[in-house]
Amino acid sequence: MSANDKDEDMIYGLTADERLRLQSGLAALPETMPPRAVWERIREQGEAEGLLKKPARTRSWYLPSGLAAALVTAAVLMVWSPDQPPVQNALTVPDSLPTNAQDADGLKALMVESRQLESDLRAIPAAPRVMRAGTAATIAEIEDRIAAIDYQLSDPDVSLSPEDEKIFWRERVRLMKSLVGLRYAQAQRNAL
Amino acid sequence: MRRGLSLPERVVATFFGPAASKLAVMSKFADITLDPGIIRRAAKGDARAHEILYRSFATPVYSLCLRFTRVPAHAEDLVQETFIEVMRSIPRFRGDASIGTWIRRIAVSKALMFLRSAWTSRAQSLGEDWEEINLGNAADTNTAYQPDVAMDLDSALGSLPDVSRTVVWLHDVEGFTHKEIAELMGKTESFSKSQLSRAYQRLRPLLETGDEVDDHAAAWRSC
Repeated sequence: MSANDKDEDMIYGLTADERLRLQSGLAALPETMPPRAVWERIREQGEAEGLLKKPARTRSWYLPSGLAAALVTAAVLMVWSPDQPPVQNALTVPDSLPTNAQDADGLKALMVESRQLESDLRAIPAAPRVMRAGTAATIAEIEDRIAAIDYQLSDPDVSLSPEDEKIFWRERVRLMKSLVGLRYAQAQRNAL
Repeated sequence: MRRGLSLPERVVATFFGPAASKLAVMSKFADITLDPGIIRRAAKGDARAHEILYRSFATPVYSLCLRFTRVPAHAEDLVQETFIEVMRSIPRFRGDASIGTWIRRIAVSKALMFLRSAWTSRAQSLGEDWEEINLGNAADTNTAYQPDVAMDLDSALGSLPDVSRTVVWLHDVEGFTHKEIAELMGKTESFSKSQLSRAYQRLRPLLETGDEVDDHAAAWRSC
């Protein structure tokens, strides 16, 4: 122990071992997440003060999703015409695209599936005002991850390889499935 | 391809939250790194970039503010003030220190400003006579200092007077020097040392009653 350490021990009244234990104990204390509403307040104030630009509505994932939606629409129009009754199950995905993303290699299939899941999610009744804390936290976490993926996919500074892009889209589909499942279960519980 | 982060880092950060890869290992300010591109976009007022910045640092900022104030509502207000200040000042952020260190400095300043105003409103000051000022507080929590009373480190820290708790946290957790603490508080280095010494005196019974500190830390590590 150096003379300085001894001096410090005399000043602070703890031995080096006690200080070490205290410091490691303090450093290991858990951190606390702020409530989710805090960011909303910050964003509103930031926008009100002109510190934030509102997010552009031209996220790049809209473009491929829009293309996928256009493909679906085109497929529907090819199958259905005013002269003939609509064909059951003709909608959804073009023949060239597999319906199950897990088995699919194609990026387009993932985009279409993601889009369908978005649509499924919108069809579920709005979230109840009161929900279980655990469910709320899980939903919030999933939404955050989806938002982060969208951010990566929409970043104009990023040029993703097709393989990278597929990784992000596959994860987006997986998260969307979890989110739809959770929200569906929540809606069912709420209905009972 | 994005500069600054490799694909694996980017994928981990994306799939498990913007800063999850760093947070999983250490969650202190300076250990959280962000893509420089996000900081550049934040400097231009990009709302999404600021949201990522917030999500990366909200937890350490809130935790710090909560340690200082002990009141969640006050801590939330301070988080808001901190990130609004980040929005205002980030165009001038030069990158001399890490973004985390810079945000921590803002958070500490806001929290100390709040404590100062709180002390002022209670006709208290950062004077050497803090012990008399906080007599009531100490009396309320006196039982907590009995060696035979089970007390964890969190509540022991919380039972310290505001000033000494703040000094302990800044010095022992955030790594500020006494000189820096003195500057932040507008006091002398000896004031900071004195506060730390008095806080240690109060915490010492906890360290003598066994390995509660280690147990506490181990319990959280095992979670």
